[in-house]
Amino acid sequence: MAQSSPAKRRRYEHNPDMTVGFLGAGRMAQALCRGFITSGLIKAGNIMASDVDPRMLTLIGELGIKTTQSNKEVVTSSDMVWIAVKPHIVVPVLTEVSTVISRKNLLVSIAAGVKLATIEKSLPENQRVVRVMPNTPALVQSGASVFTCAEGTMDSDCSIVSELLSSVGLCDEIKEDLMDAVTGLSGSGPAYVFAAIDAMADGGVKMGLPRDLAIKLAAQTVKGAAEMVLKTGKHPAQLKDEVCSPAGTTIAAMHLLEKAAFRASLIDAVEAATNRSKELGKN
Amino acid sequence: MASDVDPRMLTLIGELGIKTTQSNKEVVTSSDMVWIAVKPHIVVPVLTEVSTVISRKNLLVSIAAGVKITTIEKSLPENQRVVRVMPNTPALVQSGASVFTCAEGTMDSDCSIVSELLSSVGLCDEIKEDLMDAVTGLSGSGPAYVFAAIDAMADGGVKMGLPRDLAIKLAAQTVKGAAEMVLKTGKHPAQLKDEVCSPAGTTIAAMHLLEKAAFRASLIDAVEAATNRSKELGKN
Repeated sequence: MAQSSPAKRRRYEHNPDMTVGFLGAGRMAQALCRGFITSGLIKAGNIMASDVDPRMLTLIGELGIKTTQSNKEVVTSSDMVWIAVKPHIVVPVLTEVSTVISRKNLLVSIAAGVKLATIEKSLPENQRVVRVMPNTPALVQSGASVFTCAEGTMDSDCSIVSELLSSVGLCDEIKEDLMDAVTGLSGSGPAYVFAAIDAMADGGVKMGLPRDLAIKLAAQTVKGAAEMVLKTGKHPAQLKDEVCSPAGTTIAAMHLLEKAAFRASLIDAVEAATNRSKELGKN
Repeated sequence: MASDVDPRMLTLIGELGIKTTQSNKEVVTSSDMVWIAVKPHIVVPVLTEVSTVISRKNLLVSIAAGVKITTIEKSLPENQRVVRVMPNTPALVQSGASVFTCAEGTMDSDCSIVSELLSSVGLCDEIKEDLMDAVTGLSGSGPAYVFAAIDAMADGGVKMGLPRDLAIKLAAQTVKGAAEMVLKTGKHPAQLKDEVCSPAGTTIAAMHLLEKAAFRASLIDAVEAATNRSKELGKN
């Protein structure tokens, strides 16, 4: 029988009683946890999180999940374990739980810059590991995530990660060598957009708008334009053409953006963040 | 019911199941609320044409960029009910940003109904008419600035090795998500930016380059240029 390709993975049947654990209960863990519960895919009672900081446990506990200060307890209680500690804490934590981890656990790491090989080296052989790069807007169910499945995973592992990430936004499977570029684009990207919204609002205020209205209009304009790209499927450049009427207000503004090398500044930003991600990955 | 000189436009809009005609007067006599959606330089001729059949039974709502309420009122009989609206393109995907101003002859319910209808295609606010040019510069023209930003972020991704389709998708979703965070958390954009810049991380490295490039200033310039052009157009 021919080997099925990744593209033709058999659809798995979701297990509504799946238990999920979080090592680390910070902002991203809280966002993902909230998203999974809201989607109905995972029951709050089947989720457990650990953190050294009791305040984080209190916050995440408000979602109705179980909390503990024992990383080992999370691992032994969970089918799927999300590694959500800071990147430099990943190896120590995995080393700690190595004695209780088994192939029954699916490990999903969201630690920026931490390679699959690094994770696997800290664990017994033949673990099931998936590496994920999410981004902050998962907090409002509009995340952009990518994931890579290591060799030891089963097809259903990839499917379930994809389904869970899709509950908090869009998600794509990639090869691990693209992780740094994704970090530079969608990982760090929200900050470029916050700065843009801030600046557009400043422009509105300079031209006479009250601040609150300016921020609201700026944010909604940014959201709406992005939705047009996502929903119409048209090229952003074509959409830009369509809103630039002859001798109108928009083309006057575009001229100034081009003169200021607005586009180049964003390419530079993505490049800088990507390169920093590569540097961090070397440690 | 909709009217247009171009039969192809009527065919397109007819696909929504509405009535179509080539008679502007028929639209006015058949409708409680009439939306003026012709090009700005056509507004006065069209209003002059329908003046004979228009009455206070009609609520007129103009979306013509740069056309002042006084201009509209001068082309009509006295004491009409007029509302001026500045919508923007993303209304097409129910994520519009619109503002409106109600002229003196309107009733409170006129304002309410316009607000309700605009809210069905996005967010909407009532403003004083003197802010219309600034809104044009910000939310009217703003989508183009964002299309250029998404295009450029995608280029950045492609330069760093991502396939184009994935780069555009990630760029657009990132832009959408960040804007949603501003709208839904109510936090200041600057605070949100701080929260995603971890010490010595990837994001602050990128922010430094944006600041060096006067990224923010270029957007302030853009809003200003579009606003000034709107004022110029309004003088004609």
